[in-house]
Amino acid sequence: SSGKVNHASNSKGISLPMTRVKLIMKSSPDVSSINQEALLLTTKATELFVQHLALSSFNNGSGKDQTLLYSDLANTVEEKETFQFLTDILPKKILVRDYLKLLEENPIEEADN
Amino acid sequence: MEGDGSTTDASQLGMPGEYMAGSHYVLQSQEDDCDESLHDHEEGNGSKENFREQDIYLPIANVARIMKNAVPQTGKIAKDAKECVQECVSEFISFITSEPLKLYLQKFREAMKGEKGIGGISVTEGLGEELTDDSFANQLPAGIITADGQQQNVMVYTTSYQQIPGVQQIQFS
Repeated sequence: SSGKVNHASNSKGISLPMTRVKLIMKSSPDVSSINQEALLLTTKATELFVQHLALSSFNNGSGKDQTLLYSDLANTVEEKETFQFLTDILPKKILVRDYLKLLEENPIEEADN
Repeated sequence: MEGDGSTTDASQLGMPGEYMAGSHYVLQSQEDDCDESLHDHEEGNGSKENFREQDIYLPIANVARIMKNAVPQTGKIAKDAKECVQECVSEFISFITSEPLKLYLQKFREAMKGEKGIGGISVTEGLGEELTDDSFANQLPAGIITADGQQQNVMVYTTSYQQIPGVQQIQFS
């Protein structure tokens, strides 16, 4: 039944692979071993996090199309304090031509390209 | 790809976290939908070598399914939004793994300083020898500084860990 693991919640109501969660946790610099309950808790919290982020961003969205867009996520992360830790990895996107226009209007010191 | 800097192809810019100097934007390809996934977004990274911390993700199918179930039934999710949340998830896991530990160590050290007649070092010298994996599981604080100054950190969150006088339980939401 290993094939089923990814397609349904297990008996604990968790639908994310805990071995992978554990791998990510272990990549933190000061962590050596991980208590099983901590792993379970983290996995469940991650699931709730995804739900919370997705729904908040969806509700925050532009309203067209009922589609959750990257920009909805970027906006939500900027606006909501609980998501502030994500601001570095969720920059707003801009088309090159718009960025170049912005540069023309506000010249900055450019490092080596 | 030519050697000039003016590519509009976001997939050649690497991770979406890359910034142009002095601003907080990432360049977006002309089409909204990047068919070329950034490396490691898809499954198939079975090998564990050469993983940078930020390259380890949960499978996008699982993440996408949770998202889909969270939004109203008629809702749709853009592909780059899924990939983005996939990265956020790894960031979240790292964040909740490392932050409470840092706070706890800080408080633990402060608490140990105050202990009458026990220097921080001598307390841990004694503990250091007796520690086994089992004893970490339920009773001990998250960080121990051993006699040689080496910091041993063990993640201990149990639903009931032993209270250490003077150290507050960390609350995190």
